[in-house]
Amino acid sequence: MIAATQLRLVLVTPETTLLDEPVKSLQFPLFDGQIGVLPGRTPMVGRLGAGELRLQTERGESHYFIDGGFAQIKGSVVTLLTNRAIPAKDINLAAAEKSLQDVMAQKPTTDEGFAAKQADLERVRGQITLRKRLH
Amino acid sequence: MGKARALVKRRKAVRNIRKITRTMELIATARFKKAMDRATEAAAYTRKINEIVADLASADLKFSHPLLQQRAETKHITVIVLTSNRGLCGGYNGGIIRQALARIREIRDAGQACRLEVSGKRGLGVMKFERIAVDQAYTQFEDKPGFDEVNEIASRLVADFIAGRTDRVEIVYQKFQSAARQVPAVDTLLPIGDLAGASGAGGSGVEYEFLPSAEEILEEIVPAAFKARFFKCFLDAAVGEQIARRVAMKAATENAGEMIRDISMEYNRARQSQITSELAEIIGGAAALE
Repeated sequence: MIAATQLRLVLVTPETTLLDEPVKSLQFPLFDGQIGVLPGRTPMVGRLGAGELRLQTERGESHYFIDGGFAQIKGSVVTLLTNRAIPAKDINLAAAEKSLQDVMAQKPTTDEGFAAKQADLERVRGQITLRKRLH
Repeated sequence: MGKARALVKRRKAVRNIRKITRTMELIATARFKKAMDRATEAAAYTRKINEIVADLASADLKFSHPLLQQRAETKHITVIVLTSNRGLCGGYNGGIIRQALARIREIRDAGQACRLEVSGKRGLGVMKFERIAVDQAYTQFEDKPGFDEVNEIASRLVADFIAGRTDRVEIVYQKFQSAARQVPAVDTLLPIGDLAGASGAGGSGVEYEFLPSAEEILEEIVPAAFKARFFKCFLDAAVGEQIARRVAMKAATENAGEMIRDISMEYNRARQSQITSELAEIIGGAAALE
């Protein structure tokens, strides 16, 4: 069997298709941790977490922040369906820090409230660390 | 000179109106193109979701999710009506509101409780006039509905449905069939009836690895599919509004042109007859002096 050498990333949000380009490799967060994908991966359907999407192309490396959704790998195409995808350099640090304060100030009383707070915290902290690490 | 003056004034007024309607037509055309692009781009997401659903279906999975279950008894119905914030778009709002009012009456007659959510100032105005209580009003949606805003409403609807506060969610909006055809329609959003059916021919025959498991993916993807559909309704409505406005303004511009022509003709006749009568007076006066 000939080893697959091609990999194509399609990044889709409900509003638009953000990316559709060949990549060498990519890393993104699943529900329980990071996953790395190289050409020739077995087909997969997975649930995404919130965090950093990193992709290596011919032109270099780029970073995005993605917020939940689904990943589908089929043949040489990786499709990421996510509610929100922000290029790392466009993350508004001040706004993120402010929303971190807001989230911290929440005092949930129900199980769903706690879960929502936890998810929000994870999301906001992910944005802040990603933004800080790059600069 | 009285009549001719009045005609000139009137013609000027019609010309001004024509200028306005033509500009509105051009703006609506530009906005329609943008809205259409957004709708096409958004279609990729829905298509992919459907693909994954089809793949799940082929993985021998029984679809059971609270959002898919038909309730044995439908007592509370949430009706969402999407109208525009602005007028001057022909029969767009009229058609939707007619459908909505008929549906609300039907629900009330059947003795079911109806929760009404209206988006758009036009719809809100009519509901106020008809003295129908609106439980939730939105006016923030213009021709570019954002997913985040729509998502908020969608999440609340999902929570309401799962908690049993509502047994059915219906939406009244302008359904987009093609660029030349849009119809006002009442669609049932929840429970989702045809999750697998909408995806067409079934799976792609690829054996997937499911992370964490097919069941958990399904649990997440059903609300996502609903949200994508709900968002599509908003996009359809935005496209429909712009098309309706363009058509209405095109007709208005044409009518104004016709009117200007008629008024011009009438004005020329009035002027001519005035000149003729003046001449006749002069000649008559000269003849009397001889």
